[in-house]
Amino acid sequence: MRRISPIQRFKMMNPIIQLFKFFILSIKVMVIVAGGHGGTRKVN
Amino acid sequence: MSKIVVLGAGISGHVAASHLRRKLTKEHEVVVVSPNSNYQWIPSNIWVGIGRMPSKKILFPLAPLYKKKGIDFKQAKAVTFHPEGDLEESKPYVMAEYVTGDKQGTQEKVTYDYLINATGPKLNFEATNGLNPGTNKTYSVCTYTHAEHAWDGLNNVIQEMKQGKKAKILIGTGHAKATCQGAAFEYILNVEQELRKHKVRDMAEITWISNEYKLGDFGMDGMLMSYGSITMKSSEMVEMIFEDRDIKWILGAGVNKIEDGVAHYENLEGDNKSEPFDFAMLIPSFSGHGFKAFDKNNQEITDKLFKGFMIVDADYTPRPYEEWTVQDWPETYQNPSYKNIFAPGIAFAPPHTISKPRKSRNGTDIFPAPPRTGMPSGITAKLVADNIIDSVKSGKESLKHKGSMGNMGAACIASAGYGLLDGSGISITTFPIIPDYKKFSKTQGRHLGKTFGSIGLAGHWLKLALHYAFIYKAKMKPFWWLIPE
Ligand SMILES: Cc1cc2nc3c(=O)[nH]c(=O)nc-3n(C[C@H](O)[C@H](O)[C@H](O)COP(=O)(O)OP(=O)(O)OC[C@H]3O[C@@H](n4cnc5c(N)ncnc54)[C@H](O)[C@@H]3O)c2cc1C
Repeated sequence: MRRISPIQRFKMMNPIIQLFKFFILSIKVMVIVAGGHGGTRKVN
Repeated sequence: MSKIVVLGAGISGHVAASHLRRKLTKEHEVVVVSPNSNYQWIPSNIWVGIGRMPSKKILFPLAPLYKKKGIDFKQAKAVTFHPEGDLEESKPYVMAEYVTGDKQGTQEKVTYDYLINATGPKLNFEATNGLNPGTNKTYSVCTYTHAEHAWDGLNNVIQEMKQGKKAKILIGTGHAKATCQGAAFEYILNVEQELRKHKVRDMAEITWISNEYKLGDFGMDGMLMSYGSITMKSSEMVEMIFEDRDIKWILGAGVNKIEDGVAHYENLEGDNKSEPFDFAMLIPSFSGHGFKAFDKNNQEITDKLFKGFMIVDADYTPRPYEEWTVQDWPETYQNPSYKNIFAPGIAFAPPHTISKPRKSRNGTDIFPAPPRTGMPSGITAKLVADNIIDSVKSGKESLKHKGSMGNMGAACIASAGYGLLDGSGISITTFPIIPDYKKFSKTQGRHLGKTFGSIGLAGHWLKLALHYAFIYKAKMKPFWWLIPE
């Protein structure tokens, strides 16, 4: 069943659009990774 | 002078050893004990398993690197733990058994001041009757040798399809409580694309079999995510992908027996069913290694250290799903009984699953065990190393560095097909890994801005870029430490 429309597929596979996406994705992933981590328990 | 012993040289053991070596002066010893001579970048096994990447590209020998960097390497496996030493040895030690060379089979007491148990999971194929990679037409991609065999098996089936034989392909989880659905998900999409490339897609019926209650659970209770300008459930995203690629699915399935080309399973309705196949890749259950521990007088104290995996600073009090909180999850990965022992990565015992536990009508538990992917494995290893470094330098215990999976994000870039211009990847980020249903009560426990999904060629490039970046980092090449975990 074609659940992904031709226009969506074109956007997903077009190298130029995807090159921009690559940079955006890399930054977004870096933000999550470098965004830090920590504890969850409050110390009284 | 301190001696830090790291057990295991997988993602977490290697990350810990390399940071320890970089930040501690040479008067302190860093020792790695691991049975495998090679480091392997496990996520790229998926591409080995479809014949697109030779295994030599995902591994390198550890001994020369460790020698160059001043890390002592023992190609041995830990056998027993002695956190108080014994009547002859006053220092705590691990009994290690050499697995190769002249010393093969001999045991050595490896003493330590600090111990990092980064032994990951035991691939528990025995837990499923007949599930043994390379037999009964079932394969695994959990190690590079398994992945090589998987490609041989898949290639045979592809050649048969080219001769006109139809084939059934089954990919997913091979046990009622298996984890690592993400790896199987990547593999099924890569196999599907390979069949198209070999022009035999119409000859194959591809089926996903999983212990998940819903598609896209991934052992993380699923997630609500941003997808472009809309908000979507991970189940909807995976359903869209599977339907688009004509992949069938069987959910809530606890595979319990494999016979030649047949997987037997029980489903949540309590029915016993079977699914035939010509090629299957099924992820086994992961378990602890069954280590035993002894006190100074050689009395067994295994339950102080292990609960399957290693006991750390989690809250293990049994509670119903509705009462679970993020605070149950560990922050420092320190063993509460022996404060100089730590267990990052997959080696620590989780307090409970992340996905909602479910039983079949016959009372069989069928739900995913909690995954600990590469990123949290690396992050937890680094924070353990940093706490040990601070403790060594200050001469007193320091636990300043904390990283609960309930306050940590993860990026999972799942390959959905290999190819520089026709490849694809599904990029999913999640924050936090353990859903915090109190903090993010309206968005299924996750921060929507930091939990998103994206499909396309860029995902494949990103996965490939990560492959090269992480191998560069693992080889400890110049400025490797600038690349985050
Ligand atoms: C096919 C596949 C694909 C994956 N893809 C991804 C992905 O795309 N992204 C992602 O984030 N994660 C992925 N993962 C998960 C990721 O590989 C794991 O999270 C990670 O490897 C866990 O690291 P670890 O160091 O805890 O365990 P491991 O990497 O399993 O390392 C354990 C180490 O301990 C050693 N050891 C075992 N027994 C002993 C013993 N008795 N004594 C001493 N040492 C011992 C082993 O030889 C090994 O070196 C994937 C996993 C698989 C199987």
